[in-house]
Amino acid sequence: MDFFILVWRNSFRKKIRFWLTCISVMVAFFLFSMLSGVNHALTVSVSDSNQYRLITSHKISLTQSLAINTQQKVAALAGVKQVSYASWFGGYFQNEKNQLAVTAVGHENYFTLFPEYLIPKQQLAQWQKTRTGIVIGQAIADKYGWKIGDQVPLSSSIWMNKSGSFNWSFTVAAIYKSKKQSAENNKIFFQHAYFDQGRAYAQNSVSWLSTEIKAQANVDSVIQSIDRLFAHTNSPTRTTTEQVFIKEQAQQFIDMAMVINLVVIAVFFTLLLIVCNTMIQTIRERSNESAMMKALGFSSMTLIKSIYFESLLLLGLGAGIGSLTAGILITFISQRFNDFLPGISLTPSHYITVFVLVNSAAAFCSAFPALAIKRIVISETLGGKS
Amino acid sequence: MKNNNDIILKDINKSYQKGDNTVVVLDHFNLTINSGEFVALMGPSGLGKSTLLHLMGGLDQPTSGEMVIGAQRIDNLKEAQFTKWRAENIGFVFQSHHLLPVLSAQGNVELPLALTPLNKKQRQEHASYALELVGMSDRSKHYPKELSGGQEQRVAIARAIVSDPNILLCDEPTGNLDRKTANEILAILAQLNRDFGKTIVMVTHDNKAAEYATRVINLESYMLEQNKCTVGEN
Repeated sequence: MDFFILVWRNSFRKKIRFWLTCISVMVAFFLFSMLSGVNHALTVSVSDSNQYRLITSHKISLTQSLAINTQQKVAALAGVKQVSYASWFGGYFQNEKNQLAVTAVGHENYFTLFPEYLIPKQQLAQWQKTRTGIVIGQAIADKYGWKIGDQVPLSSSIWMNKSGSFNWSFTVAAIYKSKKQSAENNKIFFQHAYFDQGRAYAQNSVSWLSTEIKAQANVDSVIQSIDRLFAHTNSPTRTTTEQVFIKEQAQQFIDMAMVINLVVIAVFFTLLLIVCNTMIQTIRERSNESAMMKALGFSSMTLIKSIYFESLLLLGLGAGIGSLTAGILITFISQRFNDFLPGISLTPSHYITVFVLVNSAAAFCSAFPALAIKRIVISETLGGKS
Repeated sequence: MKNNNDIILKDINKSYQKGDNTVVVLDHFNLTINSGEFVALMGPSGLGKSTLLHLMGGLDQPTSGEMVIGAQRIDNLKEAQFTKWRAENIGFVFQSHHLLPVLSAQGNVELPLALTPLNKKQRQEHASYALELVGMSDRSKHYPKELSGGQEQRVAIARAIVSDPNILLCDEPTGNLDRKTANEILAILAQLNRDFGKTIVMVTHDNKAAEYATRVINLESYMLEQNKCTVGEN
């Protein structure tokens, strides 16, 4: 009789109890894995961002615009390598359910500042020459079947054009692939010049500036010099590093994640109590058998190992099924709703965390039964005194 | 010539703490059981028969005194040493069989062999032989719930002898069985004593069961006799 066969058979002795407990473990690890995937989506942008790039926006909020000539003034400051600008278009294709991340950018140098978007040189040059041209991500091209040269009508929920319509015409001029997970391949860029000339109002303004500083420049002093430059104008600015900017944008979600994290911790704690209780009940029901095994010559440590492996099987099975289900769902979400939550995925480190959690929980849940096993007095458990 | 399977208890004291009271079960108790004997321990309840059996099997330790089983003194062994010693030297048969319900008769009998260096095939062979000795070969694949009380006790005996211990300690092995089945079990024990030289110590209340033993010790009169001797010596 092999040790692990005994563990296996003992585990499934009370099938209903085993599976009910296993399902509770499964639900907890499913929640944990889903949260981990969402957390990854929220934090990956921050970790991928460039610390030598600055974002300058209106001091009040991102919805207030800056004058377009702000770019030249910033470019003239010491420590600044190059400056580009962008405005949020907020577009969709055909109906508002097909939301797209569309941004108008300075076509002269925007992609020099953002080399992570990999665009074939010829296509980039073609885009720079095409006033209505758009650069689309590979994922967008795949999703809608768009090719270079296709005419694409996009609508804006914010910007009306001079003809009084919210519908804008574009031509696919380039398709990019991204080497950074945060950028994904789901964005659309078009020429700010076309945007500025076409829109019915707010000409000569931009939503924000992107500034690349020189490698030897001091980030803080460049930030201060930009903001000082516009401090007493109609459009005072707030400049941060790209990392801080993205972090602030994601802050509301990260706070939400913290709340969810606390909920998951509570779920895990409850789960531990449930599994602990199951294992204690198990060992109590089997005290006679444990005493008999001790009488036969099995050490307490062997019996403790047996109960540890039973806990491990229960937790491992539940965690495995829960994490796998979450993994499948996350893959589905990342394929279907990539625009909504780009970067949602389960990383190898998540699976390592699950492995560590399962083993620690198994050890914790075996602690009380281990004490009970240690305390078994064979003579008292197996027979009265006569 | 001294035989290595003798059980020698010298001046054994055993007491329990029950609340504020100390209950003395064995008081300066002496007993020698020679190798190859089949001893029936009898007497009224509460006299210490099972306690004596547990002490001999290393399931409990005396408050004081000396216990030598075979050539080895066991009263001063640590828990881990006791565990190993039990596995190598003692087979237990209790009133309740305590078979594992998740294992077949074969699996239950093989269980103690998991502590030996035998490989899987050897373990299966040993277990099959033990089951054959107790007449349970045809039930080897059956689970405890599929066996009668007598059959379960036979499997328990097979489990007790499978690792070939020199000493079998039986605590009312027929207590839960009808007369006919009890006789069958007792016949198996007698055969193990007679044909395989196992030293057997059996606690029983049953006079019929005691008839199978080569020596019957009525603990009540035995203790009285011992006390007389002790007083006389004093």
